[in-house]
Amino acid sequence: MNPKPTKGVSAIAYLVLVVALVLAACTAFAQDPPPADATPAPPTESTEAGTPSDSDSDAGPGEGGTIGPAAPPPSATSAAEAQAWVTGAELSSGLSPLPNNGALPLKWLPPGAFEQDRGPSAAVYPPQKLTLRFNHKFHVEQQKMQCKTCHAGATTSESVADRLTPKGTACDACHGTTHDDLNRVTPGSEASGKCNFCHLGYKEGDGNLVAKFDIPRPNMVFNHQKHAVRNINCQQCHGDVQELELATRDQMPRMRGCFGCHQHPDAAARGEAKAACETCHVKGGAKEGGRIKTAFPSGEMQPPRWLHNSQHTPDFVQRHKYVAANDSQFCANCHKEEFCTACHDGRVRPRNIHPNDYLNMHAVEGRLATQKCTSCHREQSFCLGCHQRVGVSMSGPVKDSGRFHPPKSEWSDPPRRPGHHSFEANRNLNACVSCHIERDCVICHGGKGIGGGFNPHSGSFVGGCATQFKRNPRPCYVCHDPGAAVLQRCK
Amino acid sequence: MSSRRSARSPLARAICWAGLVAPFGLLGLSPGSAEAAEPEITSDTAAQSYDVRSPTGATVIARRRLTTTLGVSVYDLYDKPEDPTGPSLSFRARMRYDADYGGSGAETDPTSSGLVPGFDRGPIDLMYGYVEGRRFLGGWLGFKLGRQYVVDSLGWWSFDGGQVKITTPYFFAAEVYGGLEQRGGMPLSTPRFEREGVWRGDRSGYDPTLYPSFQPNDIAPAYGAALESAGFTWLHGRLTYRRVDNTGASNVSQFANGLRQPVSYSGTRVSQERLGWGFDGTLPDIGGVKGGLAYDLYNARFANIFASVDAYVSRKVTLSVDYDYYVPTFDADSIWNFFLAMPMNDIGLRASWDATDHLAFSAGARARAFEVQTANENVGTLPGSGATAPNSLPDGNYFPKSSLDMMGGGNLAARWHFGEGAVGARSNADFASNGERLGVDIYGERTLETRYVLSARTGVWQWDDKLRPDRDATSFQYVLGAGYKLWQRSLVFVDFEHDMNRIAGQRFRGMLWLSLAVSK
Repeated sequence: MNPKPTKGVSAIAYLVLVVALVLAACTAFAQDPPPADATPAPPTESTEAGTPSDSDSDAGPGEGGTIGPAAPPPSATSAAEAQAWVTGAELSSGLSPLPNNGALPLKWLPPGAFEQDRGPSAAVYPPQKLTLRFNHKFHVEQQKMQCKTCHAGATTSESVADRLTPKGTACDACHGTTHDDLNRVTPGSEASGKCNFCHLGYKEGDGNLVAKFDIPRPNMVFNHQKHAVRNINCQQCHGDVQELELATRDQMPRMRGCFGCHQHPDAAARGEAKAACETCHVKGGAKEGGRIKTAFPSGEMQPPRWLHNSQHTPDFVQRHKYVAANDSQFCANCHKEEFCTACHDGRVRPRNIHPNDYLNMHAVEGRLATQKCTSCHREQSFCLGCHQRVGVSMSGPVKDSGRFHPPKSEWSDPPRRPGHHSFEANRNLNACVSCHIERDCVICHGGKGIGGGFNPHSGSFVGGCATQFKRNPRPCYVCHDPGAAVLQRCK
Repeated sequence: MSSRRSARSPLARAICWAGLVAPFGLLGLSPGSAEAAEPEITSDTAAQSYDVRSPTGATVIARRRLTTTLGVSVYDLYDKPEDPTGPSLSFRARMRYDADYGGSGAETDPTSSGLVPGFDRGPIDLMYGYVEGRRFLGGWLGFKLGRQYVVDSLGWWSFDGGQVKITTPYFFAAEVYGGLEQRGGMPLSTPRFEREGVWRGDRSGYDPTLYPSFQPNDIAPAYGAALESAGFTWLHGRLTYRRVDNTGASNVSQFANGLRQPVSYSGTRVSQERLGWGFDGTLPDIGGVKGGLAYDLYNARFANIFASVDAYVSRKVTLSVDYDYYVPTFDADSIWNFFLAMPMNDIGLRASWDATDHLAFSAGARARAFEVQTANENVGTLPGSGATAPNSLPDGNYFPKSSLDMMGGGNLAARWHFGEGAVGARSNADFASNGERLGVDIYGERTLETRYVLSARTGVWQWDDKLRPDRDATSFQYVLGAGYKLWQRSLVFVDFEHDMNRIAGQRFRGMLWLSLAVSK
């Protein structure tokens, strides 16, 4: 150990760190905040990403936000306030999918859902804020209404930017309300027309103030019309909503259910349903490096485990070869080249692979699992080059770094003993190749007249060497004279 | 004597340059409109300073590294960006400068005794640069032209040339490609993608009689084909074939000129010829299987066979079994293909548990069986005496009784994601007759107010080198980092690493990162 340079380096390193932190802090405070990743982008025709939610200001009371300062609520008369409030009516239904928040059976969930799954991806379908009491089952079964009675746009919509939840005016005919002007909503005369009959949290005396309702647009590409034209009914994607009271995010389609058509083996049944990721997922363009967009304010898209067994578990980095070796294009749907090259052709040690102080411990791991090293490092260039520079290689210019192997008498002198290099070479030849050049081995293993004549071949070598000799005789000549009798056995 | 000088001919150079430049030229021929195209420029820079120390604690190399990349991409060159299932044309390229200012001039001077052949203090390479077309001709035709990667069961590979892929609506695709393998010492190239076992590079200026193991480089024609399933995610397979040839001269004699003949060998010869296959299948309610293999046609042996079975035992728990078979194989120019190399057989058990949407655990245990000789493989003639003995060795050779030398290990990892941060731990253990390693890393990162990034990592690792017991050590380390997000995908970050162990003493590493991204 050399204390002087260590202290010097330590001091410089600390100084650099402090200066860098001060600079970063000054820069940070001197600038305006960058656009937050969490801010949804405005709706665009091309990406359909980051579209607004069903909480914008022209929404009906069933979906509208609290009336803000720009549109102050009209002062309600005490009579009107009283008319907007109802008590004693049946207000307990429509608060959850099933009465008393009962467990939803799998058969009513959208196709592709699992028992007790956690709902669809929050990245694709951001969390919703439902402030309405609504009973789908009542409306469908008892009122004989169809889905499109309220969701009229569902059969014609071509974009996820379209709002498909009904406006408050859709309720007026039956409930006796008037939602034409959201600042002056008039309640109905019946109990079912009172504000708190539908609006959760509405309190007596609140006038037109109702709690904000928020269903963010999904982060995907979807054309309802294309599906409706093919006679794909609502239940085929959304499950049996008609059996439920309140419909929640759980009724949004699952990717696995989409594959029922989009990966249907029968071409006629599949029709125009494409299987490519971009069919449904948002294409990122330049901002995503030409890949599909995976990061959204509501979360990051991750592959489910049933998709190529590629769930990104904490140990995925150690087993991802099983996925990438089979279908690298699958990975490339989300990852750019540089994501892979950062490790596989990298120049900076990834700490999630190699822990700190890896320089000192890598020899032991290399000896145990060199074939893992070769997935990122080439032995006869990356490893050898550095080993020659630091002097642990037999053939490098630096000779004073100390012997890497045990003493020569144990390691390489005959006869073969426990701990002899031949055992290490037999069981992990890659480790040898990371330090040694051909000449190092030929000195002893070359044929007579060239090296020591110690035979490194396997017992079955002669059986297949003729083909190898014919296809590339170069390595044979390294150890054997072209006219050597032993070489004739491979000709 | 055959020529020892690199046989890189003007024609070879022209072919290389044409392959590299072609994608840029094609950009001008693309049918896209300027309005549709989306350009992107990205750059990543890492400056590092650290010492490499010998087991005596002395600083052997003071590395002062600067690695910077510049990427240029243009997407939607074909004028139909609004249709995600329509044809698309894009261009992607990335250059890299990777310098070590800690290197000495002697290390790169062919006339110096301190030369490290192949070492370059500041190489520049084109990591990739290609034009890619997808879904042309009604979705049937895809292609790539330029320097590109191929990733499949034959590994991670790069070449300059073209690839054409026909994707049919009948759930299969066919792919052919051809060009020149990326090889070290060629223009804007690295040796990263060559097969193992040959030390190769640019010998310009080298004494022909010195460093014979450092082989002259030359172009390496390559071609391949693949059949692949398409359209299903629950069932996928890819059968792939690849052949690469070595051309030009190769040094044969490993000693000073004149000791033996021939000094070099010249001619077109196989470098690698391999067949690979990968597949996976999944039943979402039950589990999945994966498998693959790589067969080396030159060595006529399986180089790698792997398989993995996952069982979805509950909504949150997956249990898996992995198997790996591996035998080292090398470039056909390498003598190491002919050395006795025994296979390794690995079997592993894994479990992963998604405790919540934010908390996940993974654990695994593995065992490896190295095969070893229990008797002599050959009988040869003892040098000098004419007597015969196993492997030409004198009598008294030791062989173990069991052909299996076992090693074991395990790993445990946990990760907790929260709003703008994550905390995790990773531990690993390996136990074998010739060494052991055991340790844990704990890390955390947090982004504050969407722009200030803080990170920390600490770990304790212990290793036991049974071949050199004097090199055992326990290491404690920590890393502290802080950064600032300049704008989306752009970050400046500084970190400081401090490693402590009894062999190398106190070691420090300072790093500065700068990532920049600008897009339309």
